[in-house]
Amino acid sequence: MDTKIRRPVTWTPQEEATGGRLIDRLDGFFHPIEKFVAFLSALCIFALMAVGVMQIVGRQVFGTPIFGYIDAVEMSISIFAFLAIAYCERLNGHVRMELVVGKMRGRPLWTLEIFGQIVALFVVAILIYYGWTHALRAYEYGDSTIDAQIPWWPSKMLVAFAFLTLWVRLWLNLIGYARLFINPDAAPIAVPLVADVKQMAEEEAAEAGALEQEKQNKGSAAS
Amino acid sequence: QTIDGPSVSWNLSTWGTKRAFTAGMEYVAAQVSEKTGGKFNIKLHYGEALSKARENFDGIKIGAFQAAMYCNFYHPGKNPASMVLTMPFLPLGDLEVSMHVREAVMAHPAYVKDMDNWNAMTYMSSLLPQYEFMGRGNPPQKLEDWKGLRVRAGGGLGTAMQKLGATLTTVPAPEVYTGVERGTMDAASFPYTYSHASYKLPEVSDWFTSNMSPGTTECGTVFNKDAYAKLPDQYKKLLMDLKAPAYQVQIKAYHDIDEKNLPAFRAKLKEVVYTDAQLDEFRKIAAKPVWDEWVAENKDKFDAQGLLDLVLAEAKKAAKK
Amino acid sequence: MTGLDNDTIGVIGVVCMLLLVLSGVRIYIAAAAVGLVGLVAMIGWDAGAGMIGTIPHSKAVSYTLSVLPMFILIGYLAFHAGITQSLFDAARKWFGFLPGGLAVASVFATAGFAAVSGASTATAAVFSRVAIPEMLAAGYSRRLAAGVVAAGGTLATLIPPSAILVIYAIIVEESVGRLLLAGFIPGVVSALIYALIILIWAKLDPKVGPAIKGYTWGDRIKALPGTAPVISVVLIIFTAMYLGWATPTEAGALGAFVVFIMALMQGMRYEALKDSLLETAKLTVMIFSLIWGVLIFVRFLGFAGLPEHFTQFITSLPFEPWVVMLFILLGYVILGMFMDAIGMLLLTLPVVYPAVMALGYDSIWFGIIVVKMAEVCLVTPPIGLNCFVVSAVRPDIPVASVFRGVGPFVIADFITVGVFLIWPEVITWLPNTMLN
Ligand code: NA
Ligand code: NA
Repeated sequence: MDTKIRRPVTWTPQEEATGGRLIDRLDGFFHPIEKFVAFLSALCIFALMAVGVMQIVGRQVFGTPIFGYIDAVEMSISIFAFLAIAYCERLNGHVRMELVVGKMRGRPLWTLEIFGQIVALFVVAILIYYGWTHALRAYEYGDSTIDAQIPWWPSKMLVAFAFLTLWVRLWLNLIGYARLFINPDAAPIAVPLVADVKQMAEEEAAEAGALEQEKQNKGSAAS
Repeated sequence: QTIDGPSVSWNLSTWGTKRAFTAGMEYVAAQVSEKTGGKFNIKLHYGEALSKARENFDGIKIGAFQAAMYCNFYHPGKNPASMVLTMPFLPLGDLEVSMHVREAVMAHPAYVKDMDNWNAMTYMSSLLPQYEFMGRGNPPQKLEDWKGLRVRAGGGLGTAMQKLGATLTTVPAPEVYTGVERGTMDAASFPYTYSHASYKLPEVSDWFTSNMSPGTTECGTVFNKDAYAKLPDQYKKLLMDLKAPAYQVQIKAYHDIDEKNLPAFRAKLKEVVYTDAQLDEFRKIAAKPVWDEWVAENKDKFDAQGLLDLVLAEAKKAAKK
Repeated sequence: MTGLDNDTIGVIGVVCMLLLVLSGVRIYIAAAAVGLVGLVAMIGWDAGAGMIGTIPHSKAVSYTLSVLPMFILIGYLAFHAGITQSLFDAARKWFGFLPGGLAVASVFATAGFAAVSGASTATAAVFSRVAIPEMLAAGYSRRLAAGVVAAGGTLATLIPPSAILVIYAIIVEESVGRLLLAGFIPGVVSALIYALIILIWAKLDPKVGPAIKGYTWGDRIKALPGTAPVISVVLIIFTAMYLGWATPTEAGALGAFVVFIMALMQGMRYEALKDSLLETAKLTVMIFSLIWGVLIFVRFLGFAGLPEHFTQFITSLPFEPWVVMLFILLGYVILGMFMDAIGMLLLTLPVVYPAVMALGYDSIWFGIIVVKMAEVCLVTPPIGLNCFVVSAVRPDIPVASVFRGVGPFVIADFITVGVFLIWPEVITWLPNTMLN
C-alpha cells in the first residue's frame, strides 16, 4: 500500500462519469510495476553500500581489493540512477518551477500540463529509440569496461528500458490531464498533483516528521 | 601558395586540456587552416565538450563530429585488434620505432575492420610513450622485489605484473596521487615521463624506473569515413602530406617534456635502471606467456598471431634503420 | 543545417529553455528538449538525435557520481539513528547560558546534523520539531525560533557530506574530496557568524531569547556521548578519504553503514529501512535526471560555442574582476529567488564557470561561494523553501514571520560571503594544507 498516493474508496457519480475509475484502474495496474522497478534500484543502493564497505575492509585489512570493483559500480549506475525514474515522476519527485503553474487553476492549468506531457513524450521517445540503438551498437560491435572487460550493452539497454517505463507513465499522465481538461470540475485522479510550494513544504516536513513519529509509535508499542 | 577549395569546418572531439598528447593534431589543425587560407578548419574541442572520451567512436559512427581522438584501453571491446599494442614488453621504447610499428598495425586488416565498425578511419597515432613505474618505499632493484607490491597497471601490463607477483589495484587516475602518498598503493605505471608529471606523482614518490618499458597503449585520431570521403582531393592530399611533419612535432613534444621532467625526476628520485640480463629475465616470465594467452583468447575472433608477428617484425625492421 | 549561425541558435535555445521552465515543464525534460532540437538544428537529425541518445548513459555512468546515493542514504538513515534530539540536548547544555542561548544551541545542533545530512530542507524540518517547541517554552520570540531553524538548515550543504558540492565538482571536473574538505571551514564560519548575530540580537533585545542557566559541568559532560554518532561519521568519512583508505564513494558507503547500524540499534525495522531506501532511490534518480538532462542542453551549448563566447565577453568587460564577481553573485541572488539550487548550478555553471576561471578565481573557492549563494536563496522571499518548511511544521508560525525572523541571518550570510571574498584562504586553506 502506498501512503503517498490517495486512492478513492468510494466513487462519486461524477468521478465515474468522467472516466475516473478507468484511469484509476490503469494507474493501479502500472504503479506496482514502476514501484517494483524502483525497489530494485533501492536494493542496488543498499548493495552499493555493502560492497563499498567490503571493498575497504578487503583492501585495508586483507590486502585483497575486489577485482573490477570500479567497473561493477559503474555498471550498476544504470540501475540506481535510472530505474526509479517513472516512480519518481508519479510522486511528483522531479523538480520543476511551479511559480506559474502553482498559481493557475482549471482548464489553463490542464492545458499547460498537457503541453508538458507532450514535450516529455517527444523527448523520451527519442531517448528510448536512440538509447536503444546506442545499446545495440555496443552489443553488435563490442564495448567493454576497462579492467574487468564486462560488456556494456546490458547496462545501456537498462537505461532504454527505464525510459520506456517513464514513457508509459507519461501517457497515463496525459490521459489523466486530458480527462481534467475535458471536465475541469472533476477531481484529479492518478496524476502527479501540482503541489504549490507550500504544499511541497508540508510534504517535505511530513516526510521527515512522519518517519520520526513512526519510530516513536513503534518504540512505545515495544515497551 | 594557398590551396583553394570549398569552405569546410570539422569538429574534433577530445578530452583533457591542450598538452603534449594533442600537439600533433594541434599542428595539423593550424597547418590545414593556414595552407587553405582559412577555408578548411579543424577545431579541437577539449574537455569532453563534444563527447565522453569512451564514447568518441559512437560519436564518429553517428556523424556527430568528423574527427576524434581515442585511447584503445578506454574501450577494449570496441577495438580488440588494437589491444595487441597493450601487450607487455613490446620493443617500442624508441618513438621513431613506435611510429613505424603503429602505422603498420593501423593498416592491418583486423584493425581496419574494427575501425570500419565505427565508420572510422585512423589518421595518425598519438605515439603514447612507453609506460614506466613510479612509486614510494624501497625501489624494486631486482625481479623478486616486485613480489607483493601493490601497483596500478592495466591491460596486458597488469597481467604481466601479476606474473611478477605484484597485486593489482584499480583506482581512477586522479586518486593515484593520494593512494601513493598514503601508502595504500606502492607504485603506478603511466606513460613516461609525460603523465607522471601531470599527475604530480614525483611529489610523493621515492623512485622511478626508466628502462623497464613494460608496455604502452594505442591512442590516436580517427576521422569519420564519410566526412573524409566528402573532402575535395586537394584537402585529402593536404591532410596526408601533413602526417609526416605532424609525427615529428608529436615526437618533439614528448622529447621536450622529457627534457623538462627528467632532471627534476633524477634530482628527487632514485632512478632504477635494469641490466639487460634482468630485462631478459623479466620478459621471459612476463612477456611471452602474456602474449600467448592473448593470442589464444583472440585467435578465433581475428588474426591475433598475425598482429603480434607484425608488431615484432616491424619493430625489428624499424630498429635497424 | 539552418540559415542561422550557431550563436543565434544558442541564444534562441537559452530563451526557449527559460520559457519551458517557466511553463512548468520538468527541468530535466525542458533542458533535454531544447538541447535535442538545438543539436538537430546544428548537426542534423541522425547525428543530433543519435548523440542525445548516448548522453544519459555515458554521463551518468561515472564512478565519481556513485557517491551521491551514499550521501543521500546517510541523510535518510540519520532520521532513524536518534541523532537529532541528542545533538540538541548537548548543544543546549553547552551553549544555553549565552544570551539567546537556545538559538545558539540550535545553530550548532543543525551544524552537527549537517555532518550526516546533505539536505537543507530536511534539516530545517527536523529541527523545527526538535528545537522550536523548547525555544517557545523558554519564552523565545517566534521570529527568532523560526528564523534560526530555517537558516541553520542551510548549513547542511556546506558541511560535508553534500550532494551539491559533489555535483559542482563533477561539472567543473574538480576533485570531489578537495571540495568536500573545502566546505568544512566555511560551514563552521557560517555557523559562528549566525551565533554572533544571535548574541548581538539577544543583547540588544533580551526579551527575544533569554539565557538558560542552571546546567552543571556534570550535565554537560554527560550530554557528550549523544554527539558520538555524528562525530564518528565525520571521522570515518574524513579519515577514510584523507588517509587514502577509501574513495569518496567507499567512504560514503562506510558512513552509511555506520548510521545504518546505529539506526538498527535504535530499533529501525524493515518497513522504515525500505522507506529510506525508496526515498533515496527517488532522490537519486531525480538528481541524475537533472544531471543528464542539463548536460544534453550543455552539449548543445558547447556545439554552439556559447560558453567560449560568454567568457570572451566577460573578460573583455572594462571592470576589475571583483566587480564582475559581484555582478555574477547578484545574478545568482536573483535566479535563486525562483530556482532550485541544483538546477540553478547545473544550468549556469557550464557558461559561468569558464568565465570565472578566466577572471583568475580559484575553482574550489568559487564552488563554495556558489553553493553558499544557492543556500541563501532557500531562505529569501518570495520562494524560500526552508521558510515554508518551518511554517509547515509549525502552522502557528506564519511564513511571513519566518521570513522576518530569517532576516538577520540573511545579513549574516552576506557578511559570510564578504568574508570569503576578502579572505579566500578561509576556503582554500584546509584543502591546500591537507592535500598539498
Ligand atoms: Na552536509
Ligand atoms: Na528564495
